[in-house]
Amino acid sequence: MPDPIHQFNINKIVDINLFGYDISFTNSSLFMVMAVIAISAFLTMSMSGRSLVPTRLQSLAEIAYEFIANMVRDAIGPEGMKFFPFVFTVFMFIFTLNMLGMFPWLGFTVTSHLIVTAGLAIMVFTLVIVVGLAKNGLGFFKLFVPSGVPIAVMPLVVAIEVISFLSRPVSHSMRLFANMLAGHIALKVFGGFIVMLLGAGFGYSLIGILPFTMAVGLTVLELLVAFLQAYVFTMLTCMYLNDALHPGH
Amino acid sequence: MPDPTDAPGPEPDHDGGGLSREDRAGFEKRLSSLDDKLNKTVTPREKARKEAASSVRVSGRGMAYGMRMATELVAAVIVGGLIGYGLDYFLGTKPWLFLVFFILGFAAGIVNLMRAYKRMQADIDAQTGGYLGEDMPDSDDD
Repeated sequence: MPDPIHQFNINKIVDINLFGYDISFTNSSLFMVMAVIAISAFLTMSMSGRSLVPTRLQSLAEIAYEFIANMVRDAIGPEGMKFFPFVFTVFMFIFTLNMLGMFPWLGFTVTSHLIVTAGLAIMVFTLVIVVGLAKNGLGFFKLFVPSGVPIAVMPLVVAIEVISFLSRPVSHSMRLFANMLAGHIALKVFGGFIVMLLGAGFGYSLIGILPFTMAVGLTVLELLVAFLQAYVFTMLTCMYLNDALHPGH
Repeated sequence: MPDPTDAPGPEPDHDGGGLSREDRAGFEKRLSSLDDKLNKTVTPREKARKEAASSVRVSGRGMAYGMRMATELVAAVIVGGLIGYGLDYFLGTKPWLFLVFFILGFAAGIVNLMRAYKRMQADIDAQTGGYLGEDMPDSDDD
């Protein structure tokens, strides 16, 4: 049976060593670069015409813009549009990476590596803290002190709130990572079943239809998950930024 | 099914001319009872369709929601445990702070869950207008 984990292997393409740190250009880096190029090409090409009546490509770009813009306005409010470039970048980056991972054969899912999603989540987390402190000064710490709590249990509540706050980047990154990892392993396992059954003789290869239908269904589900997880990640980014701008719920 | 409103009413012969007073009353009555009957069959069907549509939309996200709840809880427990472990390591109070923060982490996880639940509920309400379909019939016990 083909190893379902094999698809997540990191292979060095160009070996680079800088001051004792291994910063080699890997297949993961390659897919990130591909995603950036794809997004840039898509947005520049689609908006080059800038016609009043949009072409197909242009309306795709407009849909993407409006989707994120509405999300930002809903979650943060009009002043949140300052963060639109960041949020839009995060969404497009994750979504494109997830989608690139859906290519059979050559696909490599960058977001199925915890280190990548953790990097993104920590970036959001740091941004939230910096913006929160810059906007509200010490008032940002009101986030940890819910109103209307009796003094006696206050230390307990504050400790819980702090842990809850610190757990955000963990759950934020773990969710995207776990979803992509689990989905792709499931796909690979069912794919492996098909191959095994095909190799086992005629009678068995007929049974191979069953995992095949499952694999087709899973592929559709994975496409949905690829979008949904990018959406959830972005949505939570908006919510955390909202907390930074308006602490004290 | 025996429908009391629809049984009486003289079955008239509609001869082309103007309807007499009681004919008209009977006619109205039949009309309204037909309306009732129509509602009885159409509305559940409409409801079922709406229900199916919304349940597809909601359950499509169900897996994402479930996954989210799980990570929300686990993440807080992990963070709490790590904080306790770190503090123990530096203060040399081996198991105690770990245990305390582990439990605090669990509490934080529950807080996370409740917040996530509130947001999800708001999401779902916004999507479906608060209508999630009829309750399932209660088949067993109580």
